[in-house]
Amino acid sequence: MAAAVSIQGLTKKYLDIWNKAEITAVDHLNLEVQEGEIFGFLGRNGAGKTTTIKMLLGLIFPTEGSATILGKPLGDINVKSQVSYLPENPYFYESMSGWDVMDFYARLFRLSEPERSKRVKAALEDVHLDPKAWRRPLRGYSKGMLQRIGIAQALINDPKVLFLDEPTSGLDPIAHAELREIIASVGRRGKTVFLSSHQLPDVELVCSRIAIIHHGKLLAMGKISELTAGEKVEIRATEVTDGVIEKIKSICGLVEASEGKLRIPSADEAQVNGIIDLIRTDKGTINTIMPHKRSLEEVFVETVMKEGGA
Amino acid sequence: MVTMAIAKQTLEDMLRRKILLILLIVAVGLIALGPSVGFLSPRESSSVLRSLGLAVILIAGLLITVLSSIQVIPTEIERRTIYTVLSKPVNRYEFVLGKFLGGLFTVFVMIAAMGIVFLGVLWYQEKHLAPEMMKGVMMTFFQMMLLGAMSIFFSTFATPVVNFFLSFGIFMVGNMSSVTESLTSNPNPATKVLASIVHFLLPNFGNFNIQNKLINPSVEIHNENVFIMQNIVYAVIYSSVLLIMAILVFDKREV
Repeated sequence: MAAAVSIQGLTKKYLDIWNKAEITAVDHLNLEVQEGEIFGFLGRNGAGKTTTIKMLLGLIFPTEGSATILGKPLGDINVKSQVSYLPENPYFYESMSGWDVMDFYARLFRLSEPERSKRVKAALEDVHLDPKAWRRPLRGYSKGMLQRIGIAQALINDPKVLFLDEPTSGLDPIAHAELREIIASVGRRGKTVFLSSHQLPDVELVCSRIAIIHHGKLLAMGKISELTAGEKVEIRATEVTDGVIEKIKSICGLVEASEGKLRIPSADEAQVNGIIDLIRTDKGTINTIMPHKRSLEEVFVETVMKEGGA
Repeated sequence: MVTMAIAKQTLEDMLRRKILLILLIVAVGLIALGPSVGFLSPRESSSVLRSLGLAVILIAGLLITVLSSIQVIPTEIERRTIYTVLSKPVNRYEFVLGKFLGGLFTVFVMIAAMGIVFLGVLWYQEKHLAPEMMKGVMMTFFQMMLLGAMSIFFSTFATPVVNFFLSFGIFMVGNMSSVTESLTSNPNPATKVLASIVHFLLPNFGNFNIQNKLINPSVEIHNENVFIMQNIVYAVIYSSVLLIMAILVFDKREV
C-alpha cells in the first residue's frame, strides 16, 4: 500500500529577530500514513500537532526536512485538489449562509455548475445538517452546526486525504457521537484520515494506527492493538498482611488494599513472579491473575510521562 | 474563477460592514444636503455644490478605501478563515488579487453610488445634466485604486494600525506632488535628494485632482483627455507593480 502522507525529518523552529532558535515546535519528525487508513495524531497541547498539519498544507513552511502527500511535494497545487482540512475551532464567513459558504469553497476547487450545486447538496446531506438551516446565515448556527459545515467543506472535493484537527472539540455528547460516526464513515469509504485529537476514546474507536508526539518529537507510533497489548497483569489476593502490602507497594506503586484484600491493577509482567512469591510466602491467597489490556489513555499517559510529562 | 470567487466573497463581506455603510450614508446625505445652502448666489451655489460633492466623494472614498484595504488580509488571518481557503487549490497570488479586486469593487460600488447621487443633485439644482463631473468622480476612483493597491501591499507585512498611518501619510505626501517637484530643484543637496526620492518613488496622487478645473471653468488643462488617460494608465501600472510586490511578500508569509 502506498503512503498517503510521508514525513521525513520535518522540523519547525520559530526564530527570533537575531535568527537564533527560540522554540522548536516540531523536531525531526518522521512518519508515514498509508492510503485508506484513519491515523490518529496524538499529543498534549503545544506538542506540535497543528504546526505539523499546517506545514503539510503549506500554511507555514518547514525549517528543515521534507514531506510528501500522495507522492507529491508540499505546496503542489494539484495535490491540494485531493486534500481537505478542517482546522481546530474553524471560523467561517458568518454573514454567508451555509449553502453560500459551501458554494464558495466549491468554487475554490474550480467546480462548475451543475456539479457544484450537486456536491454542495451531497456534502450538506452527508453531515446531516438540517436543510432548513442551509439558507440561514452562519452567525445563527450552533457550535455543532458549524462543525458540520467544517466537515462538509472538507468533503466537498471528495478528497483522498483529510486532515482533521480536533474535530470534536467543544461539542455536546450527541453532536460528538454523530461527528465521530461521520469520521468513521469517511474512513469506510476508503479515504485517508489524519486525525489530530485529544479525545482518546474517539481515536481508539475510529483509528487503526496512531503516533504520539511530545515537544515536537515522535515518541511512539504503531497499531493501537499493538501499543495497548497485554504487557500488564492484574492480580487479586486475600489474607495479605500489611507488611507484604508495603513491600508490594514499593515494587509496583499503584496498589489497592483494604482489610487484607489486595488488588494490583497494572503490574508489569516482569514483576509478577516476585509479587506472587511475596504473597504466598506470607500465607496469602492468590485469587486471580489476569492479563490487563491497557487503554489508549494509559499508553498515552505512560509514553508522555516517560519523557518528563510537562 | 478562483480569483473572482474570492473577489465576490470579499465584496459581499465588505458591503455588509456597518462602518462602510455608515460612511456611505453620511456622504450621500452631505451631497444631498448641498442645495440647502441657500444664502449664496446661483453662481456661487453651483460652485459650492460642485466643490462639496467632489470633496465629499474624495474624503468618503479615501476612508472607505483605507478602512477596507488595510483589514482585508489581516482579518482573514486573525479570524483564521484563511486556513480553509489557502489549504484548498488556491495560489497565493489568486488570494491577494481576489482580495484586492473585492476591495476595488466595493470602492467602485460606493463611489458610483455617491457619483450618481451627486449628478442627480446637480441636475435637480441646475436643471441640466453635468456629465463632465463624472470625470472628477472617475479620477477619484482611479486615485483610490492606486491607494487600495498600496494598502494591500502594506497589509501583507504591516499591522492594520501601522498600515492606516502609512497609507494616509503617503496619500497626503503624494497629494503634494507639485511641492515635492519644486523641491527637487532646491539648492540644498540633501533637500534635493530627499525630494527627488519622495517625488519619483511615492505615487503621484496629486495628478488625479482635477476638481479645480471642473469647478472653475476658467481653468484649463492642456490636452485634458490625454492627461486623464495618462493618469489612468499610471494608476494601472503603479497598482500592478504594488500588487506584484504584495504577492511576492505574501508568498513567503506564514499564516
